[in-house]
Amino acid sequence: MSLPILRMQGICKSYGPGIIAADDVSFSVDAGEIHALAGENGAGKTTLMKILFGMEKAQRGEIFINEKPVVMADPNIAMAHGIGMVHQHFMLVDDLTVAENVSLGIEPKRHGLFDREAARELVRTLAERFDMPVDPDAFIRDLSVANKQKVEILKVLARRADIIILDEPTAVLTPQETKRFFEQLTALRKAGRTIIVITHKLPEIKAICDRITIMRKGRTVGTYDVASISEQEISRLMIGSDPLPEPILESIDPGPVLLSMHDVSCLSPSGKSALRGITFEVRGGELLGVVGVEGNGQRELVDILTGRKTAYAGSVQLAGDSLQGLSIARIRRHGLSFIPEDRMKDGVDLDGSLVDNATAAIRDDRQFNIGPFQSDRKLDAYAKRLAERYEVRHESLREPIRHLSGGNMQKVVCGREISACKTVLIADQPTRGVDVGSVRTIHDHIELLRQHGKAILLISSDLSEIRTLCRRAIVLHQGEIVAHIDDLAAYTEEELGLYMLGLKRQRTTEAGS
Amino acid sequence: MKRLSAFVSRLCSWFKSQFTSRHLLTALIEGGRTLIAILIAYLVAFAVIGFVSDDPEMAIRWFVFGPLSSPTEFGEVLKNATPLLFAGIAACLIIKGGNFNMFTEGAFYAGGLIAALAAIYFDLSGILAIIIPLACGTLAAMLIGYIPAKLKAKYEVNEFVSSIMFNFIVMWIGVWLISNVVIDVTSGDNATAPIPDASRLRILFENTNVTTGLLIALGVAVVAYLYMFRTRFGFRLRMTGDNKAFARSVGIDVGRAGVSSQILGIGVAGLGGGVEILANYHRFNWKTLPGFGFDGFMVAIIAKNRPLLVPFAALFIGYLRSGADLMAFNTDVAQEVVQIIQGLILILVASEAFFSSAWFRGVIAKRMFRRKQLAPVGGVDDHA
Repeated sequence: MSLPILRMQGICKSYGPGIIAADDVSFSVDAGEIHALAGENGAGKTTLMKILFGMEKAQRGEIFINEKPVVMADPNIAMAHGIGMVHQHFMLVDDLTVAENVSLGIEPKRHGLFDREAARELVRTLAERFDMPVDPDAFIRDLSVANKQKVEILKVLARRADIIILDEPTAVLTPQETKRFFEQLTALRKAGRTIIVITHKLPEIKAICDRITIMRKGRTVGTYDVASISEQEISRLMIGSDPLPEPILESIDPGPVLLSMHDVSCLSPSGKSALRGITFEVRGGELLGVVGVEGNGQRELVDILTGRKTAYAGSVQLAGDSLQGLSIARIRRHGLSFIPEDRMKDGVDLDGSLVDNATAAIRDDRQFNIGPFQSDRKLDAYAKRLAERYEVRHESLREPIRHLSGGNMQKVVCGREISACKTVLIADQPTRGVDVGSVRTIHDHIELLRQHGKAILLISSDLSEIRTLCRRAIVLHQGEIVAHIDDLAAYTEEELGLYMLGLKRQRTTEAGS
Repeated sequence: MKRLSAFVSRLCSWFKSQFTSRHLLTALIEGGRTLIAILIAYLVAFAVIGFVSDDPEMAIRWFVFGPLSSPTEFGEVLKNATPLLFAGIAACLIIKGGNFNMFTEGAFYAGGLIAALAAIYFDLSGILAIIIPLACGTLAAMLIGYIPAKLKAKYEVNEFVSSIMFNFIVMWIGVWLISNVVIDVTSGDNATAPIPDASRLRILFENTNVTTGLLIALGVAVVAYLYMFRTRFGFRLRMTGDNKAFARSVGIDVGRAGVSSQILGIGVAGLGGGVEILANYHRFNWKTLPGFGFDGFMVAIIAKNRPLLVPFAALFIGYLRSGADLMAFNTDVAQEVVQIIQGLILILVASEAFFSSAWFRGVIAKRMFRRKQLAPVGGVDDHA
């Protein structure tokens, strides 16, 4: 390897008194490597990268690009130095097309006006060159999460970035997509780009990264050659102790059917068939996984179950009652709770406090109300207990939740929904972008809920998550159930992958079992 | 005794949870920011006065110290602040619910007109002579305000546009009424009959124009605070205003929460209109919109949408206007100077980046680092 293309030294960053995100952090990356930045949520990885990208200002410390000191006052300067960042929470304009988003800020001009055709061409060339097919004229709001990410990467490539920072890139991808994504990353490295990946998925680090820097609680633990360090060691350095063993799937007697769909079909907003003849049931004490490549009907499935989509054919029953025509509020009162996929949009009120967010689903409960007034004491106690049980790292119950890191925020969302669940929990990507320790906490609580006899539907693009938690699963492909699987352990990931890609499907007699 | 001490300790811990050092710090920073904005605005205003006046010192003296020179003058401040307080609370409720319904303006007009008519034609006595007209004015405003609010919730009609149109509809109907239907020709004006004495709000302090309306306004501020921050309805309102998608997904009926926040805000403005008429007018004779509704949004922005800060913001604007009145009356400077100050303060307070608290926090955090004596690394400078 050559000289470090990038060096950060002595970086200190604090968000106000008592919240130290980076404490004398040093970090260096060689040209042409894929460098992993690993650590638990709230360890300071994202903060460090935001400082590098000029989005946050460090109180102390220096940044060198090719050994020349640079002051990263804002992202424009960072981009001028060839640094590009793909954020965990997408920074895209929903109401513009792919081409418009990619060219935003670097618009090709003709006669002083925006040259739409050139922008389309730009996207097409980049998409072809880096093998990331995406329709330049599609609106962002219509894209799946995986495609949105492609657009983000194209955006960075369009700005001719040499150093590309990826914040939790594979969190939203299926195994197949991840594999392709890795090929693309390797190709990028071959093309001379330097890549920094923020991640906590250990197998990925082993698979593609050259070196790894591990952070813990705002400090760097050290930088290692990936080849010379085992997954166990990485995990120990990240968490500070050995992670607990995998959970055992304890079976309990299945209770009555709590959630069922019978022959449900619906259309997507653009009028295409989104779901066709979906039939399944979940009993109390059961955890049913929904496997599938993103964008194969999962969103519609969840929207129907949670009352966000009311136009559909077929019947949906929650503990024996039909959900047809019920509002979200009514469905929730029937005992359904729901961990939404997009936590920033649907999961939290960023301006609200930890208490507001943790208690939002149980505010109407009689025990928290004295006449017209709410008992702040009880609400605080509830939020405090929740924060303790879910190990939410926080400063005070009253601080706006936007001060928490992504993983801690997600723990608040999961805690709120799991605690409020009376009969059925819909968990849509409950651990997306969450570190190992937090995943463990969330999984334990979901498993506990199941043991209490609740019915749980788990939608996840992370196959290993579904395999850890579920015994039964359905596989969705293009809006249809292509397989009902009664014992997940009997299938390999490759076999599941064939179903997910629609290359194989169970015969109807089999599927009915 | 035991229960008392338990209560005291609970109170203490509540205070601690409410006012940790960080919250206090944030509050100080925000307050300091507003003060600096006011200071800058004043300096500019002084420069303008110096430019246009032959005797700038006199003008500035009237402007700044005039309102504080006697109880009577300070009474004018309080009188000016009262409708602003109502309007500010109304705007808080509406903004916090995530809407921008400008019908508070029309609500002031409708509330005032209906309260005056109810007072004249019901001709009640005792406390009812006050309560019934005010209630009628409030309800009338809420009824009319329901239309743009519901249009927004049901058909996504932009409430900003529709509410401004409703302002004019209401105003011109009102002008038509006082010119044709309820006109008292003996007044020599397009105005209603005189409001009976029983319905006039009582003066609170001698030699001033401060009425019981001020107490009603303060009461409304406290009730609005309790509603917004201490009840489940207020919680729904705040969550809906902050993030509609989130509110919807946790099972809040966002349509209803949005409508109720607007209706309540408009009700407060309607009450403010009634109080204004019963406190300061012999007859209802408004032929234009009073402007309080719009002022309310300014007050709410200065008060950062916090109901308990609204009285202070209203008092300040009331003080500014009294000073401007006195300056215009006694010197050669027009009272419009106050518009410059208001405009500047608003721009500075509303612009997030101006002395943003993040910037202040950065300064403070840097100090903390220094105090903790983190070992400096390799010739690092203090570039923030």
